[in-house]
Amino acid sequence: MKILYTGLILALLTVIIVIPDCVYAGVPLDTVKSNANDVIDILRDPKLKGDSGKKIKEQKIEAAADKLFDFVELSKRTLGINWNKFTPDQRKEFVGLFRNILRDAYIDKLTSYTDEKVSFVREVPLSENTVEVQSIAEIKRGNIPINYRVIKKGNEWKVYDVVVEGVSLVNNYRNQFREILGNNPPEKLLETLRNKVAKK
Amino acid sequence: MMRLNSVVNNGKQCESVLTACVSLFLLFYLGSMPLFAESDIKDGTNESEAAHSLIQNQETTNASVLPAADYKMSDEYGDISEEEIGETKIDIEEKLIADPLEPFNRAMYHFNDKLYYWVWKPAAQGYKFVVPEEVRGLFSNFYYNIKAPVRIVNNLLQGKPGYAAVELLRFLINSTMGVAGLRDCAKDCFDITGRDADFGQTLGKYGIGFGFYVVAPFLGPTSPRDGIGWLVDWTLRPTTYVGDPDEWFTPQSVGLYVHEKINQTSFYIGDYEILQDAAIDPYIAMRDVYVQYRRKLIER
Repeated sequence: MKILYTGLILALLTVIIVIPDCVYAGVPLDTVKSNANDVIDILRDPKLKGDSGKKIKEQKIEAAADKLFDFVELSKRTLGINWNKFTPDQRKEFVGLFRNILRDAYIDKLTSYTDEKVSFVREVPLSENTVEVQSIAEIKRGNIPINYRVIKKGNEWKVYDVVVEGVSLVNNYRNQFREILGNNPPEKLLETLRNKVAKK
Repeated sequence: MMRLNSVVNNGKQCESVLTACVSLFLLFYLGSMPLFAESDIKDGTNESEAAHSLIQNQETTNASVLPAADYKMSDEYGDISEEEIGETKIDIEEKLIADPLEPFNRAMYHFNDKLYYWVWKPAAQGYKFVVPEEVRGLFSNFYYNIKAPVRIVNNLLQGKPGYAAVELLRFLINSTMGVAGLRDCAKDCFDITGRDADFGQTLGKYGIGFGFYVVAPFLGPTSPRDGIGWLVDWTLRPTTYVGDPDEWFTPQSVGLYVHEKINQTSFYIGDYEILQDAAIDPYIAMRDVYVQYRRKLIER
């Protein structure tokens, strides 16, 4: 019986050492997980097949994406301090256009995914109100680390950046926009974005 | 052994205790050895956590200097401050790369772009159509396995002898049980995962920066540092010496490299197109992906 007690103490120790990881998996991780799983569920929905199904599928994904992402925060961080050069109306237009560009670029790829397994691993605090939720997507040729950076807005946690294999989406666009805004007024960037959206 | 047996004999409820003991043992045992990639990832997060807490400290000091009304915005479309979005001058400078050759690089970018759509993509598509996925998977394993010397040497140079040993072990298992590296038996049978490493990364770990951005014809985004790295790694690839052991570039070694690339591309057709499609300025988007990706590999 003595051995059993030793075992129990060891087991308890294990729990203490291992558990913090589980306990720490708090609200941000759960929020991202459930919202991302909503998208995956829509992608896998067998009822949404064929051309008519595709339209509904895309609409559903868009709605789920609006729940998952905070496009205003994403836009602010993408424009950086240049955000202040935009008038409030231009800011609103920018957020809408940027959202559409991301949708147009990624929705085809997304809808072709059906059997990827995604596991949410841990969350790392970045600042007082931001957290990085780390996940691993298993594809045929190996694992891809995908990290979602989330911010607390009121009671909700929303994604403002996605970091794939160390490459941040926000940083990527920020460098592109900075170059354009270095020599041009905000209107010029908006015009470029309008043309890009219209082409689709 | 006797003790373990007596625990087992105590009945079913002890099973979990046993598992716990074993896992505890494994935890300590593995935790002390740099065997698996996870420990490396943890290193990375610790560093970034430290960096973030630094930034956070900065933020709080800045915030206390700023008047509260300026700092807090009620309207989500209102003005922002640099601190609020985590963008400081240091951040920006760190994320940029010098690009004195931009006109040349842009020309090379367009050359490589055309090359992709006119040569690589159709070649990879035809190849994908002819060669079944399983076989392409075997090739991909083979090429990865044969590059083991690159990973062993660079893990050593980066002060990670544990990973060098794991890569050596993986090479031995895969070259024998994995039938000349066609199967990744080390991972599939024994769950042994290694750590990729290259010489550009090694130089980066020694504190050498990119230098500046270069788009090499055929090979794509690189820099003087990573270009030298690529050459050094080329000399470490056994396939380099296939045609003529005295020559670095022979039709055989280059041919194998081209096949490796086409085989690889066959799995990723469409990914380049998405980057293009999503970008406002694809040249800058690509440059930034290169910088962010390489930087992350070195920070790790």
